[in-house]
Amino acid sequence: MDILKVNNVSKRYTNHVALDDVSLSVPEGSIYGLLGPNGAGKTTLIRIINHITAPDSGSVEFLGHPLTADDVVNIGYLPEERGLYKKMRVGDQALFFARLKGLKTKEATAELRKWFDRFGISDWWNRKVEELSKGMAQKVQFIVTVLHRPKLLIFDEPFSGFDPINADLLKNEILRLRDEGATVIFSTHNMDSVETLCDNITLINRSHNILSGNVTEIRQRMGRGRYRLSFEGDPQALLAALGDRVVDHTFEKEVNSPVTNARLLLQPDVTIRETISLANGSVDLVSFDRAMPSMNEIFIHTVKNNEQ
Amino acid sequence: MNNNLGIIVRREFMERVGKKSFIVTTLLMPLLMLLMMALPALIAIFSTPSDKTIAVCDQSGVVMPLLQDAGLDHLTFVTASAPADSAIHDSGYYGVLSIPTDIVARPSSAMLFLHEGGSVETESAIRNLIKEAVRDQRMKAYDINNLQQILDETNVEVSLQTIRVDETGAGEATSSALSFGIGMFMTFLLYMFLLMYGQLVMTSIIEEKNNRVLELVVSSVKPIHLMLGKIFGVGLVAVVQIVIWGALLCAMSAFLLPLLIPAEVGQQVAMFDTGSLSAGTDTLDPDLLNAISLFSSVGYIAKLFGFILIFLIGGFLFYASIFAAIGSAVDNVQDASQLTSFAILPIIVGLIVGMTAGSDPNSTLAFWTSVIPFTSPMVMLMRVPFGIPSWEIWLALGLLYLSFLGMVWIAAKIYRIGIFMYGKKPSLRDLIRWARYK
Repeated sequence: MDILKVNNVSKRYTNHVALDDVSLSVPEGSIYGLLGPNGAGKTTLIRIINHITAPDSGSVEFLGHPLTADDVVNIGYLPEERGLYKKMRVGDQALFFARLKGLKTKEATAELRKWFDRFGISDWWNRKVEELSKGMAQKVQFIVTVLHRPKLLIFDEPFSGFDPINADLLKNEILRLRDEGATVIFSTHNMDSVETLCDNITLINRSHNILSGNVTEIRQRMGRGRYRLSFEGDPQALLAALGDRVVDHTFEKEVNSPVTNARLLLQPDVTIRETISLANGSVDLVSFDRAMPSMNEIFIHTVKNNEQ
Repeated sequence: MNNNLGIIVRREFMERVGKKSFIVTTLLMPLLMLLMMALPALIAIFSTPSDKTIAVCDQSGVVMPLLQDAGLDHLTFVTASAPADSAIHDSGYYGVLSIPTDIVARPSSAMLFLHEGGSVETESAIRNLIKEAVRDQRMKAYDINNLQQILDETNVEVSLQTIRVDETGAGEATSSALSFGIGMFMTFLLYMFLLMYGQLVMTSIIEEKNNRVLELVVSSVKPIHLMLGKIFGVGLVAVVQIVIWGALLCAMSAFLLPLLIPAEVGQQVAMFDTGSLSAGTDTLDPDLLNAISLFSSVGYIAKLFGFILIFLIGGFLFYASIFAAIGSAVDNVQDASQLTSFAILPIIVGLIVGMTAGSDPNSTLAFWTSVIPFTSPMVMLMRVPFGIPSWEIWLALGLLYLSFLGMVWIAAKIYRIGIFMYGKKPSLRDLIRWARYK
């Protein structure tokens, strides 16, 4: 079942169109990547999902009904640009945000204690926020976002400002929340984390949805006809054997060994079996692999194609 | 969701009231004001001028006796042992006063020689004494019998008791000078509060926007609730401060003032209150009695603070909405300065018109400016102590609170757009355009 459905949403500002007829569906219990270059309209879409701004046209469905203001207690949003009240104590501040999300003071305090213990920051409770470093404040913001056990979590660049150790801690927390049943929408420019975390993605460019789907499927589809192989022998012999099946190729000879590494793009209807037998007749194969394009390549390739 | 408004108000309120600076200013401010009022008296008590001796060469012989009898503090006159031009070299004297023989005919011919810079006080004392001596001499020349007695009998002090008769016909002792003073105090207090707390709303919105905590809050709270919460929270702080000051003043009037007033003054005040103060009896100035009478009345002080409160709340809500809209639109206080003049200017105009209204509280200008929302809080508070028909007060209040509703509606529309605008410094035209968005 889809926890969130965005149907043909458009949003215009005075001087530009932020979103033009964007649709997407987020399956419950998955991690969904919302990708796109800066200024593509991601933040506007996230604000619409958070009921902060209203779309000019189109609709948003949440848990099967049209999104209303009351739904925000079931959503947790960690904005890209985020801050805290500097003069407030950490504990008071976390309680303030928890109560805004509808928690009673008592249960909020108990939950907060648990989270503070888990993150090893229990002794921060009475410290003022201005005494915290950026990374420390980010931890508090993360807790505030997830404390009320929202069904839908939206993270906008959650890892920026975290050191690798804390980024890893955060990643594991996000996966744990997903395993406990939460759905996560994840907006980032870090494509490595998209590959490891996201089940599905939508790529937005110039206010349009230009690519949507399952990450593995997209990579396989985009990777059709791409192979990575290593061999000993003459690269030209290999090319001659494969003939006009080759669309594109690169060779790279290893410095202190007879091995050459190659990347090939073949015609889509060429099978693996056929390729291997033809290659084996001309050179000595060391390894052969289907090359999946990285999300990074897909991002750049798709956006560039879209701009043309 | 309205529950969230309460949570926001609470946070805004606690953040400010919990601060040491709030507690300190709230308690120290009245003390400071008392000290300012008492300062002139304290200075007079503690600053003792140095003793001065002036040698006098009185060739007329009519001024010296008066100078010697004058008995001025710190100023002694001795007959000079030498003529003026040589006595001046004797540095034992502060100065030498030379009175020519024909001083009665030419009163401006007296001369004072000093070794150092003179003092206004000394010079005016000497001038007055010479004047008195010359006048005495000239009057004596008319040779009238019992002159001194006639003069004493004709020299009278007059004071005026003003009774204002209200709609019911009951008389109440008033004094325009006193009403002016009280009105001035209230108007200025309100002016101060509107500027201070209005700008506090603005700067704290700018701060929220700058440090991006706003992005986190608006995902749980509607922008209008956030804005209202800020306005109400800060307003509540102002109200608490006024209530504390009012209570302090009432307590002073109930417990401290009776201890400070001497018994016979107290009796006169009591007689003044009952109207049994018969004319002709030798009493204190009625203005002073009136002032003491008013300030000993806890009810009167409470009533004044009641007026301050209702106009403060109305005026604050009205102006804070404007300040909030401005704060939401800009990124920093510097960018705000141009726009804030639209809010600050009417407040200042209100103060100025209020002050002039004190001299003629029932003029057409005073009436209109005290009902039109922009200036009404300040001007109306000035007019209140003079006693004006209550329908005027109700009209002003009604208009003020109604226009708050209108203003907050416009401000909320600007706010919800403004808080997401970064970078460009907005103009008034931008704000108007945002207010018109659907």
